[in-house]
Amino acid sequence: MTTVELRNVHKTFGQTLALADFSLSIASGELVCLLGPSGCGKTTALRILAGFERADGGTVTIDGTDISSDPPERRGFGMVFQDYSLFPNMTARQNIEFGLKVQRRSADERAEIVDRMIDVTALGEHASKFPHQLSGGQKQRVALARAIATSPRVLLLDEPLSALDAKVRESLRDEIRRLQLEIGVTTIFVTHDQHEALAISDRVGVMSDGRLEQLAPPRELYESPANAFVASFIGTANRVPASPDAGGRWRVLGRSVEGVGTVGSAPVVAVVRPEQIAVERTGPGRIMTTSFLGPITRLGIADPEVGEVIADVMSVDADGLRPGDDVRIRLRDDVERTLILKGDTHER
Amino acid sequence: MKSSRAMSILKWAFLVLIAMYFAVPMLAMARFAFQNVPTVLLTSDTLLTGWSLGGLWSALSNPKVVSATWISLWIAVFAIAMNFLLLVPLAIVTEVRSPRMRPVLTALTLVPWVVPPVALVVGVSATFRAAAPWFLANTLCLVPFYALWAMPFTYRVLDNGLQAMGARTLFEAARGLGAPLWTVILRVIMPNMRAALVAAAMLTTALVLGEYAFASLLLKSTLPTQMLVYAGGDPRGGLALALFVLVVTAVCLGIVVRLMRKRGVSLPTTGF
Repeated sequence: MTTVELRNVHKTFGQTLALADFSLSIASGELVCLLGPSGCGKTTALRILAGFERADGGTVTIDGTDISSDPPERRGFGMVFQDYSLFPNMTARQNIEFGLKVQRRSADERAEIVDRMIDVTALGEHASKFPHQLSGGQKQRVALARAIATSPRVLLLDEPLSALDAKVRESLRDEIRRLQLEIGVTTIFVTHDQHEALAISDRVGVMSDGRLEQLAPPRELYESPANAFVASFIGTANRVPASPDAGGRWRVLGRSVEGVGTVGSAPVVAVVRPEQIAVERTGPGRIMTTSFLGPITRLGIADPEVGEVIADVMSVDADGLRPGDDVRIRLRDDVERTLILKGDTHER
Repeated sequence: MKSSRAMSILKWAFLVLIAMYFAVPMLAMARFAFQNVPTVLLTSDTLLTGWSLGGLWSALSNPKVVSATWISLWIAVFAIAMNFLLLVPLAIVTEVRSPRMRPVLTALTLVPWVVPPVALVVGVSATFRAAAPWFLANTLCLVPFYALWAMPFTYRVLDNGLQAMGARTLFEAARGLGAPLWTVILRVIMPNMRAALVAAAMLTTALVLGEYAFASLLLKSTLPTQMLVYAGGDPRGGLALALFVLVVTAVCLGIVVRLMRKRGVSLPTTGF
């Protein structure tokens, strides 16, 4: 049972602001992803948690205890790095055992735990290999086993999958989530890959410029982004004109919808996802591009009133659609609310 | 097409020329040192006659040469120890704590090469002759000079070793697992620095076995100075000895290159 809290954490590197008044609270056993473009401060937040960086201000607490000034070796966290950082002079087994040796566990206990770790990470045949004899995915599994062998209070993962190729990345991603749920360790996962974040998190914290823009479950983040930055960072977002309708509602692509997150003043745009757009086969718009993506087909459409939009339609419905075809776009009937942006329609 | 062939011929001609520039004097030295034939008769007719290692054996069995060799080797050992004690902690702290200081330190460790040996020796002897005359009386007073002289590449080799293993994240990984500072250094960092340490030691040894200026200026009997003295009485033996030391040094450096390659460090990046 471990809860983690960062409260009003502030950090600058020289002139560069890394974290501005950053607060984050994570419940016991939860997996939270910190997601954002490079330089948004997500890694800094993780390193402050781990104790590798000292915050300029604010506190880090674990189960209510302030650990802001504890050195990393006294925090009892497990950490996995992007570049594996396995000890090159030790075998996979010795790497996993290292933390247990440091904890002065008995030889029997160490052997038992290491065997179990090798088992859950399916490293059996590689246990006696040295890091340079392992593939990237295997290395990262060793690193993961090493990090959880010591039963850490909190597991920290710093872009653990970024150095791996797509296929390995996906399977290891699921493996991390499975293990995390199995041992119930509170986990913070830093990534710049939204698919990764959406796929495995209980909640995702979207960051930009050292600030937490929104912290929410993946689905909420996608369906109700708090602002323009989150809307455009998660998934694909079309910005289409919106006009006020009766009862405080908004008119978007020919339908009346509820608006969320209105800020500033006119002009007004609505954020609409590609799959929220329905395409009819005649109309003023014109298909510019089509890309077949398997179950869906992505259409680039130029509309004289709306401008350029991207629409995803089921591939079975897109049969025969070609660039140059005339189409009409409208909001799908099942869309009930959209993010409305007023005034500054640029990001942030 | 034509011009590229001409370039290729030119390239080879140039290479052969350079090889000859080194090889011809070496061959001449080897013939003089190892052929028991009067100098005037060293022509193409006598290319295969009278080869012998006699000169080298007698040089190697000369007690003065032997003791000078031991002195040189001990100086090398102490110089290596001194540099390691000084530079290993410095390199580790720089890499792990303040990598931004690295260029500054690299520049600082190059300073000894800016000061010519003569200036260094004169300066030091002027200071120490007054303050601590016993210091310059001892042959081992050469140790700090050689340590200083070997400092630039010792530091760079160590620094390269640390960077090649990714010392910074290894340090963090180990500390994150609860290891105290000393455990990290002894169990993680040092075992992975072995190749760099051997390389630095070899380079320092090669330097000490070939350095003449410091020893001569301070009137000490080391292998290089003794070699010159010996050559005065037995030119053939002296030259044979010089060639022998050259080969040993070359083998040492060859081992260094091998070790560095094995660790994924290419020598050009070390600056040599």
